[in-house]
Amino acid sequence: MASTPDLSDVKPLPSEAPMHPTTVAAYEAAFEAHQHRWGEILQENAERMARGSYSLHWMNTDGSGWGKRAKPSSRGLTYTDINKYKGSGEIPTMATWKNFTPRGSIREPYADKFPEVVDYEVLDKWELWSDNVETLFEEAKARQWNATKDIAWSELEALPEDLEKATCQLSTFLTEVEFVAGDFPAKWLYRIPQEFLEVKSFLSTQIMDEARHQEVFRKRAMAGGGLLHASPGFEWALQAIMEAPTHTMGTFLLNLLGEGLVLSIFRSGEMIAKTQVDKEIFRRCLQDEARHVSYGVMQLKSYIDNHPDPQKCMDDLHRFADVGEMVILTSFSEAALVEPTAILLGGGLKKIDDGMDGMAKLWRMSVEEYLARCDRAGFDRSERCKIPLDAPWVA
Amino acid sequence: MARQPGHFYIDATCIGCGACDHACPGKVDAIYEVPEDFLGRFAIRLEDCIDCGICVPLCPVACIHDARTEGITEGTGAYAKIRELQAWAEQQSGT
Repeated sequence: MASTPDLSDVKPLPSEAPMHPTTVAAYEAAFEAHQHRWGEILQENAERMARGSYSLHWMNTDGSGWGKRAKPSSRGLTYTDINKYKGSGEIPTMATWKNFTPRGSIREPYADKFPEVVDYEVLDKWELWSDNVETLFEEAKARQWNATKDIAWSELEALPEDLEKATCQLSTFLTEVEFVAGDFPAKWLYRIPQEFLEVKSFLSTQIMDEARHQEVFRKRAMAGGGLLHASPGFEWALQAIMEAPTHTMGTFLLNLLGEGLVLSIFRSGEMIAKTQVDKEIFRRCLQDEARHVSYGVMQLKSYIDNHPDPQKCMDDLHRFADVGEMVILTSFSEAALVEPTAILLGGGLKKIDDGMDGMAKLWRMSVEEYLARCDRAGFDRSERCKIPLDAPWVA
Repeated sequence: MARQPGHFYIDATCIGCGACDHACPGKVDAIYEVPEDFLGRFAIRLEDCIDCGICVPLCPVACIHDARTEGITEGTGAYAKIRELQAWAEQQSGT
C-alpha cells in the first residue's frame, strides 16, 4: 500500500430508493459523528499494512476459553452441547454488550471501540428466556417442511360448495392471522442482543414457520376456489399483539393465548378437515404451532419466576391479560371463524346447528387449555378470565 | 445384569412440541414421536429411559410424570378435553 487513505471525501452510498430528506440528513449526521472512531481503526490498519508488518494479535488466547474442543452428542453438536463450556456457554442475567460481538469471544480489550446498537433494548434474561428454548430450536430445525412439495395438492378432492366455501373461509382466516405470528417476533428480534442468541435463533424458526403457514393456507384457499372474507375482529386482535408494550406481554398474547387458541383448532383438525389433504395440513401446522405455544408458556414462567418485583409483575400481567383476552375474544367471536368451523364440524350448511354443538365443545376446550397454559406458567387466570368458559350461544 | 427400565412416561395430554425429545441425552434417545398419531404426541421407551428427568421441567403442559411418585396413567385436565370433541364427532358420524 503506497499511502494511507484520505477519508475526507468518503460519503455514504446514495440510496436508490427515494428517502425523506430528513432521514437522509440524520443518517449522514450519524455517519459523520462516527467517522473519527472507525476512521482511526482504518488508519491504524492501513499504516501497519503499509509498513509490511503483521498484527497476529488474534492468536493471543489470554482471557479466552480457547483449547476446549466442543464435543458433539450422538444427536450432533447442539447449543446444549456447546453451552457446557464456561464463558461462551454462560447466558448472562443482563446483557451488557450492545453490539454484534459473539458471546465467549475476546472482546474486552476493544470494549471502547465498538459501536453501540441502540435498538438492543430487551436486556434482561427474564424478559425473553425460556428453559426449553434450546431444545425447541433443535426440534424446529428437525421438523421443517415444504408447503409446495410436502402437501399432495394434486390429490385434493373438490368438496360440495358449502364445505368448500367453509374450508376456504377458514383458510382465509388462518392466512390473515398467521403472518402476525411472524411479524411479532420479527419486530422484537432486532431488539434482542446477541448475548441471547439461542432465543434469537428460535424466533427465527418461528418466523419461517409462520411464513409457511401463511403460504399453505393461502394455497389451500386458492386451490379450493379462492380467498374469502377478511374480518375487522381479527385485525383488532392482531394489532393488539403487535402493539404490546413489552416482549413478554406480546409473547403472552401471541404465543400463549392467540397461537394457543389456533393450536386448539389445529388439534381438532381431524374433525374439521374434510379431505386427507386438509388433515395433513392441520397435522403439520399443529406440530409447528405447538413449539410456539411451548416457548410462550415457558417464557412466561421464566418471567414470573425471575421478575425482581413479583407483585408488580403479577399486577401488570393481570392488567394486560384483562385487555388481551377481550381483544382475542373479539377475534374468536367473528362469524367468519365460528360459522365455517361449525359447518365443517357438522358436515354441511344444513347441519350447522349440529356443528355449533361441536363448536361449543371446541370453545370450552380452547378456554380450558388456555387456563391450563397460564397455570403451568404460574399465572392463575381462572377467576379473572374475560373469555367465558361456555360459548355465548350455550344456554 | 440387565438395567432396570425407566419410570418416566408422557401422558395423553402431550401437545407435541418436542422440547423433551431433544432434551433426552443423545446416547439414550428414549423419547420418540408416536407413529400415525394426528396430535403429534411423544412417548418414552421405558427400556431406554435412564430416569434422569431432564425432560420434565421443559414440558409446557406438565405431561411427563414419574410413575414412582405419581399414579396418573391417562392424563387429565384441559388437554384431555379433546376426547369429548372426538367422542361427539364419532357420534355424529354414526348418526
